Amino acid sequence: MAESTEEVAVLVQRVVKDINNAFKRNPHIDEIGLIPCPEARYNRSPIVLVENKLGVESWCVKFLLPYVHNKLLLYRQRKQRLNKDELVDVTCTLLLLNPDFTTAWNVRKELILSGTLNPIKDLHLGKLALTKFPKSPETWIHRRWVLQQLIQENSLPTFVKKENLATFLTERVQRIVQEEIEVCGEAAGRYPSNYNAWSHRIWVLQHLAKLDIKILLDELSSTKHWASMHVSDHSGFHYRQFLLKSLISQTMTDSAVLEQSPLVSEHIPDLPKDDNEEDTSAEHHRVVDLSRLLEDEVELSTDLIDNYPGHETLWCHRRHVFYLQHHLNNKLPHSQMRLSPVDSNGGTLHDLNLSPAVTHMTQAMDVDGLNDSNKQGYSQETKRLKRTPAQDSLGIEMEHRFIEQILSTCRNVEQARFANAYRKWLVTLSQ
Amino acid sequence: MKLYSLSVLYKGDSKAILLKAAYDVSSFSFFQRSSVQEFMTFTSQLIVERSEKGSRASVKEQEYLCHVYVRNDGLAGVVIADNEYPSRVAFTLLEKVLDEFSKQVDKIDWPVGSPATIHYTALDSYLSRYQNPREADPMTKVQAELDETKIILARKQNSCCEIM
Repeated sequence: MAESTEEVAVLVQRVVKDINNAFKRNPHIDEIGLIPCPEARYNRSPIVLVENKLGVESWCVKFLLPYVHNKLLLYRQRKQRLNKDELVDVTCTLLLLNPDFTTAWNVRKELILSGTLNPIKDLHLGKLALTKFPKSPETWIHRRWVLQQLIQENSLPTFVKKENLATFLTERVQRIVQEEIEVCGEAAGRYPSNYNAWSHRIWVLQHLAKLDIKILLDELSSTKHWASMHVSDHSGFHYRQFLLKSLISQTMTDSAVLEQSPLVSEHIPDLPKDDNEEDTSAEHHRVVDLSRLLEDEVELSTDLIDNYPGHETLWCHRRHVFYLQHHLNNKLPHSQMRLSPVDSNGGTLHDLNLSPAVTHMTQAMDVDGLNDSNKQGYSQETKRLKRTPAQDSLGIEMEHRFIEQILSTCRNVEQARFANAYRKWLVTLSQ
Repeated sequence: MKLYSLSVLYKGDSKAILLKAAYDVSSFSFFQRSSVQEFMTFTSQLIVERSEKGSRASVKEQEYLCHVYVRNDGLAGVVIADNEYPSRVAFTLLEKVLDEFSKQVDKIDWPVGSPATIHYTALDSYLSRYQNPREADPMTKVQAELDETKIILARKQNSCCEIM
């Protein structure tokens, strides 16, 4: 069936209008999808709305997409005028079909900057696009731009100071953070090891939540079940490593700063009774037991490795956690393992210089290639590890016992391979 | 880790007959669900047809793992899961389901049954419970048996899956 240019134009206009109407009819649309449908049924719209799901029949895409794409490009080249509503509709249609079309997002950026488009709409559109394209890099990138606009341009404070000078995230920022976490969680569930989704989640914690300790702790506990049910999701476990590292960096400080800071005290200050804030403030001053958190994580790792043999992600995670434990043992004298959080004013993060260590770990993951050349990866940190106190060698001993137990009881070939690789890595640590 | 389908079939002389099935396609996007379910029904049937009586196997198809157990008496079960779900638990589930099924449904009904005529309602709740593998019963017995059976990881080249 040959489509003349006129017929295509009419079809496209109808489809764009149908999509627009669908959103008006049902503001709760939460998912988009493509319906495999090779041929058009007579006189029926290819836009299907079922419950809260918006579907596009596949036959129309080959007409729709090039036409709308071209229309936008002509606008960009100033060969065709489009008014604001047309631009919004055209870009919306385009992005639901191909959210990696950067130009369309950029047109919407211009509309936002000129005040004619509400940035919240783009968050909603992006969320919808991610239901079908959970990895879409351009969608995540645009999302971060929008979030930065919301935080900066509206001059809304991130922090609110209370009488005792502690800072809290404003309610608005907290809501935004929670929404982003939800979007990331959904996208992570739609595609295995969704690096883009988890990276966005990290970005949100760093730049919106400013590594607020309560949020870090909440995230640690709320992602525990998810990680346990996605034992091969490397990005998910990497997120937990990020949380632990951030908790360490946010609660630890050099002893010099510890002495000078008037905010760190041994007792929890008296706070005015405030209905909403009472619990939050108590928790904000809660002592973070870092070594306990790391022990719990090792326990989680043990439990998962025992129950789900043969997943490299779990062994990789164990290395990271073990390394963090030993790094922590080195940073502090044993008596100071518990610390109150220092007022984190969004200032400089304490740099633990973990990256050389991570490089060492990544090199050591090459099971077959473990030879002397790995020693070139040794950093200052690793050399310090060689001088570990007795406590560290006890930890390493326990790990060796764990490996022995796994090797003697496992029947899974991969599991044995990973256990042996882990043992080799431990040996390089204690050399 | 997810379970997508749990089916009970009968391996006849020439073909496999579906007796009862349960599906969980909620993790798929809305408009894909019916075609995914069809795929799983078809695949389960095909796998049983190509499997020997008295065998267990794990067949890899795209990103899914199909665990099949065909008993000597022709009763068969297929679990379609993702690649994180522990196969040990999947076989425990199959053993348990087929055992229960054979007690509740008369053997004479197997060669001529269909989901409409067979009275066995436990599949949906098994599928739901076993989504979390920790719901599984102690597995030591099955574990020992599994060592002796051959677990086949078949890819597209394998004749069993050629048609897929």
